[in-house]
Order: sequence, then C-alpha cells, then structure tokens
Amino acid sequence: MLGRFRHGYVAPAAILVALLLYAPFVWTAYLSLTRYDGLEPPVWVGLANFGKLFSDPALLTSTRNTLIWVAGTMVLPVGLGLLVAVLSYDIKGGAWYRVPFMLPYALSGAGLAMVWSPVLSHDGIANLLLGVDTAFLQEAPHNTLAMLLVWTWQQLGVNTLLFVVGLQSIPKEPIEAARLDGASGWRLFRHVIWPLMRPLTAVVVGLALVASLKTFDIVWVLTQGGPGRNSETLAVTMYKETFVASEYGYGSAVAVLLTVVTGLASYLYLRRQVR
Amino acid sequence: MIRRAVLIVLGLIWLGPTYLLLVNASRPATSYDPASAWVPSGDFALLENFGHAVEGANLGGSLASSALYSVVSPLLGVIIGALAGYTIVVLRLRHGFWWFLLIFGGTVFPSQMMLVPLFVSYSDAGLYDTHLGLILIYTAINVPLAAFVLRNFYSGVAFSIFEAARMDGASTWRIFWRIYLPMSVSALTAVFILEFTFIWNDLVFGLTLTQTENVRPVMTAIAGLMTDVYAGTPVPVGLAAGLVVSLPTVVLFLATQRLFARGLSLGSV
Repeated sequence: MLGRFRHGYVAPAAILVALLLYAPFVWTAYLSLTRYDGLEPPVWVGLANFGKLFSDPALLTSTRNTLIWVAGTMVLPVGLGLLVAVLSYDIKGGAWYRVPFMLPYALSGAGLAMVWSPVLSHDGIANLLLGVDTAFLQEAPHNTLAMLLVWTWQQLGVNTLLFVVGLQSIPKEPIEAARLDGASGWRLFRHVIWPLMRPLTAVVVGLALVASLKTFDIVWVLTQGGPGRNSETLAVTMYKETFVASEYGYGSAVAVLLTVVTGLASYLYLRRQVR
Repeated sequence: MIRRAVLIVLGLIWLGPTYLLLVNASRPATSYDPASAWVPSGDFALLENFGHAVEGANLGGSLASSALYSVVSPLLGVIIGALAGYTIVVLRLRHGFWWFLLIFGGTVFPSQMMLVPLFVSYSDAGLYDTHLGLILIYTAINVPLAAFVLRNFYSGVAFSIFEAARMDGASTWRIFWRIYLPMSVSALTAVFILEFTFIWNDLVFGLTLTQTENVRPVMTAIAGLMTDVYAGTPVPVGLAAGLVVSLPTVVLFLATQRLFARGLSLGSV
C-alpha cells in the first residue's frame, strides 16, 4: 500500500529526460544516416554522410583546431592553474594573490567577446600596445591560439580554485615528514605533493578534456568559426552545417562523431585514472 | 620570495584586461579611442552605456526572459529531481536503481547532439521561439543533476523519520513536501545556483530555439550585439552590456560562497 503513486512520482523526471534528452539523441543518430534539409522528408543514405566526413577539408581543419584546443587547454588553463595554485596555497595572504585570476571567471562567454574584440581587432589595443600590425583573429592557426589565450584568461581562476581546494585538503603529515627529511621545493612537490593530489588532478583534467572537445561558445562569439572556416571547431562545424547550410543529415553525422570522440576520450581517460 | 614575485607578475598581466574592461565600460559612449584606451576618462557613464544597450538592442525583453528561464527552470528541475530521488531512495521504488540510471544517463549527451531534433520538433509542435519551449529544455537538463544530488542526500537520512511520519498517518506526498523537501534546502540551493548560472550563461539553446528579441535569452542577444560592434555599436556600450549582465551570477556566487564550499566538500568523496 505504501505509495500507490510511486511510479507517478518518478514519472515527471523520467518523461522529461526521455522526451527531451534521450529521444533527440536517437533521432540525431537516425538523421545522420539520411539526407535532410528540414523541409522535404529525410532520405535514407546509409553511411554516406560518414564517408563524406573523412574527405571533407573543412572537417580536417576543425579536427585540427579541436586538437589544438584540447592540447592547449591542458597546458594553459589547467597547467598554469596548477602552477598558480601550488605557488599560492600555503603562503600568507594567498587568497589575495588569487583575486586577479578569479575576476575574469565571472564574465560569460558573450561578455568575454565584448572585452576582447576591441583588443584583438586590427586597429585594436593589442596591436597598438605591441607596436605591431597582426590580424590576431584572421589567419589560421594563430586565430585559434589567440582565442586559446583569451580562454586561458577566463578559465585559469576556476582551475586554480579547484587545485587549491585539493591542495589544502591533502594530509599534512607526509609533507612534514618529507620536510624533516630535507625535501623542499621541486623535489617536495614532485615526490610528495603531486602523488597525493593525483585523484583531484584526474577530475580537473577529465572535466577540462570533455569541455575542450566541445569548445563552442568562445569561438562562436569571437570569430563564428571564420574567416572562411579556418577557426571552426567540431562543435562549430556541426552548428554551421546544420543551421547555416541546412545540411541536417551531415550536421547530425558531425554531432555523432563529436559524441563518439568525447565518449571514447572520457572512457579511455577514466579507465587509465580510476583503477 | 620568488613565489610571490611570479604571482604578482602573473596577477598584473591578468588584471590588465580587467582594467581595460572597467575603464572603457564607464567611458562616455562616443569618446572611445583604442590609442588612449588605457587612460581613464574621469566620467562614470557605465549605467548610461548600459541604458543605450538596453534600448538599442532591446535587451529589456531578453533580460526579463533570461530571468524567467534562470529562476523557473532550476526551480522546477530541483523539485522534480528531488521527487524522483525521494521516490527511489525513501519510497524504495522497485528497480529504483535502474530508474536512477535512466534519469542520470541524460547527462551523457552533449547539447550539440540534441539541437537538430529539438529545432525540428519544436517547430512542428509550435514550441519554437516560445518561453515554454525554452523552460522545458532547460528544466529537462536540470533534472539529472538534481536527482543525483538529492538521491545521495536522502540516502543519508535515517529511515525512521519516514516511518514515524507514516505512523502519524501522513501521506507519502505530504511527507515529501513537509519533511524531506525542507530538510534538503541546502542541497537544493547548491543545485539551483549551479543551474541558474548554467542557464543564465547559456548560448547554444538560445541561439537555436529562439528568434524574437523578447524570447531570446540575454547572452544570445549580447552575442548578437557583438556583430553590431563592427556595425557601429560603440565599444563602451558593448562593454557595459557584457559587464552588467555578468553581475547576477557574480552576486549570487559571492552571496552563497560559504554554502557552496560546504556543498563541494560534501560532494567530494
């Protein structure tokens, strides 16, 4: 008798998730096997869209850019974030040293574009400041690198914060013991602190890996993937093929590819980290 | 000593663009010049500039819409998710773990994967470019996380509380509303804040599922304003808009920092 409506209680959650998250996923998988312009009914084409994926020069560019984003994210926002965390977590007033890095995190992607477009434009502040005339957002691949620096400016703070939380929660005893044994500086970090903070590093890197594979917002607001298509990431390509070129089937194939790559990367990464 | 020096140098580099943002967002709209962007203007025209943006890009409607989405969707999401968590853990729903997996599995799919079907089915169902349509998808996206967090929370609550309430003759529905929901306010708030921020800053769904100024969320509208910077929206106006619309999430985070740190420490195993 206990709770005759038990299934009724779980129904709103199950129905919302099934209709708005699962069904679209299945539908996209189906559409990726069709040719569809959003007007005429979809025409079954089998794996043709996926064949096209591997011979499309635009896709090659966006795959390359996506890889730059993934590698760059590991080095800059994550690596530099770790550096700032390690430098500041146990000094007096460390929180104050971290304030400059936290401020930009408050800005949304769109706000970010507002700040950086006038800085990076051809008659912008960066050129005047450096005394050069570089088209920061024009030529590939350095437009992707410029955006990566902007991204670093925004994301460093949150990574630092996560690392600091981790560093402050690791046990003090092994560090004290190592200090007594004469370890300090780099050796103390490398052999004592780093192994202790590994579980947290795994989480931060995992999150950054998945997020960087799906990079969209910052590219969309700064270059919209252009000029031409030279700064597109896979997520931007998917969006443009679908909603700009009305190639729904092909766009869905890119979405499926992106999902598979993201899933595979997470799986391989987690399998290595979580034993 | 070296540590502090490195931190200070890096910090100054990071403050540079922040400084530019503040100085130029408060500069009178017509007096922007890249060559003297570093020099403060002496005037404080931030609110005036924001006023221009609200008028020029019709941000008023977008702001109201974003506020609606960011409050209503997480609210519905946490209640629906909490109800699911309560049913699975406290009411001991049969095959509860599988129901939980089904619901939590919704977080796996990247949003790009959902855009085409949502766009097509929203167009067919008359949900395209409506407030209801956006509230629906934003709510659905919230549900898995809420169910996850609240399921964990409720499984740490002594079952005797539920039994005692049953003895007193309370219905399961009443027990949820009067006992379990109020008990979990801190967890609900933490999820609410995360989701509020996500929705307030969302660009993709706004871009795909809306068209008119009044339905479009504010971040999508601002991203649109960006293209107008080249077409003549003065830089200070764009900066002021970007700065002011970022404020709600900043204020929310600062106001709830402590609660949040507690939630984080509870979450890490």
